Amino acid sequence: MVPRDEDTDRALMLRLQRSGDERALTRLVLRHSGRMLAVAARLLGSRADAEDAVQRTFFRLHTHARDYRPEWMVTTWLYRILTNACIDELRRRRARPEEPLPAAAPAGRAAAGLEVRLDLERALAKVPTEARALLVLRYVEGLSYGELARVRGISVNTVKSQLARGKEILKAVLTERPRTMKGERG
Amino acid sequence: MTSTMQGTLFDLEGALRDRLRPEPVEAGAVRRIAQGALRRLEQLERIRDEFVVDASARGVVAVRRGRRAEAAGAAARRNAERGREELHEYLDGRRAFFEVPIDLTRLAPFQRRVLEGAMQVPFGETTSYSVLATRIGCAGAARAVGTALGHNPVPFIVPCHRVLRGDRTLGGYAFGLPMKTDLLALERSTPVLEGCTSTKILCRVGCSALARARPDRHVAFASIEDARSVGYRPCRVCRPDAA
Repeated sequence: MVPRDEDTDRALMLRLQRSGDERALTRLVLRHSGRMLAVAARLLGSRADAEDAVQRTFFRLHTHARDYRPEWMVTTWLYRILTNACIDELRRRRARPEEPLPAAAPAGRAAAGLEVRLDLERALAKVPTEARALLVLRYVEGLSYGELARVRGISVNTVKSQLARGKEILKAVLTERPRTMKGERG
Repeated sequence: MTSTMQGTLFDLEGALRDRLRPEPVEAGAVRRIAQGALRRLEQLERIRDEFVVDASARGVVAVRRGRRAEAAGAAARRNAERGREELHEYLDGRRAFFEVPIDLTRLAPFQRRVLEGAMQVPFGETTSYSVLATRIGCAGAARAVGTALGHNPVPFIVPCHRVLRGDRTLGGYAFGLPMKTDLLALERSTPVLEGCTSTKILCRVGCSALARARPDRHVAFASIEDARSVGYRPCRVCRPDAA
């Protein structure tokens, strides 16, 4: 079903911008918060922090609605604000290194799948922030190179080299023989 | 374990796609997000409407409720005007640090030390009364520190709202706890390091160079190294590398 004109993301966003229409904002939250939570959870490693970041994203979308320009696809704009929020959260964590590293994934998965999943999350935590953000946006959300470049304000070539570097690090971490349970940081 | 590890070895792309797949979202989360997004930081509008900035030729001496007083002399007027502008940008979520000079010379030495200590607490972060007391060399004087903060003549700009009780509860605030909560919420939703996507220059949020860039060209970074790794360089005006 094709959404009616007044229901497209862009129309909702323009209504929010023009009149602070709260119903328009609520519809955007209903439509997009699930995917954004998935991205934030993979970037921040915890459900609670992810929810917090998505909440701050929509809050800022609301308070800074006038920053939106109609040439932006709303989803790209949302991912820009979301990654800004997540990356700022990572900056804060770095300033307070005593904070725990990304926590375990949710329970209730088949054991083998869970193990690999945890491995992958631990490995992701070792990828530098910029490459990690790109990997997550690409593999959780399937964004194209062009969209990734727009979201992060970098060239398509930089997107490609960052992704390649991130994958190299992932591969190296995942193929490392787990010697002991601790000694994560070499 | 080994067989699944082999799988990730041979097909990283597939593993990423498969294992990063979104999970179903709990309905409560969506509701909480919508409520949070619609939350109004009403206290902040009151600060903008009700508070005025006083300054001397040395810097801002007070942020207080009431009528604006005429500053004596051009330098004092400039400081007051600059303080007011920066305060409004801060409340607007477009400034993560203050540049306007602050004049604490009229205060007693202990209060001055406490306020200077509070100014070291980074934007968006918090500390406790007792940690601050220790940091200024007065371990055990948490209560006196709390009192000195309670009489902070330059609230918001000297961030006494970033000091909480040791158990992370809010403690006190001269203008009421809702305002303290709103200020902390504002700071958590304002990024600190942002680059401009067209100039590829990294600034502290609030830098005049960044403010000139279109707001849809701002991207946040977690560190200067991260920004450098994708081709951004630190600004020479606000010097994020020196901060």
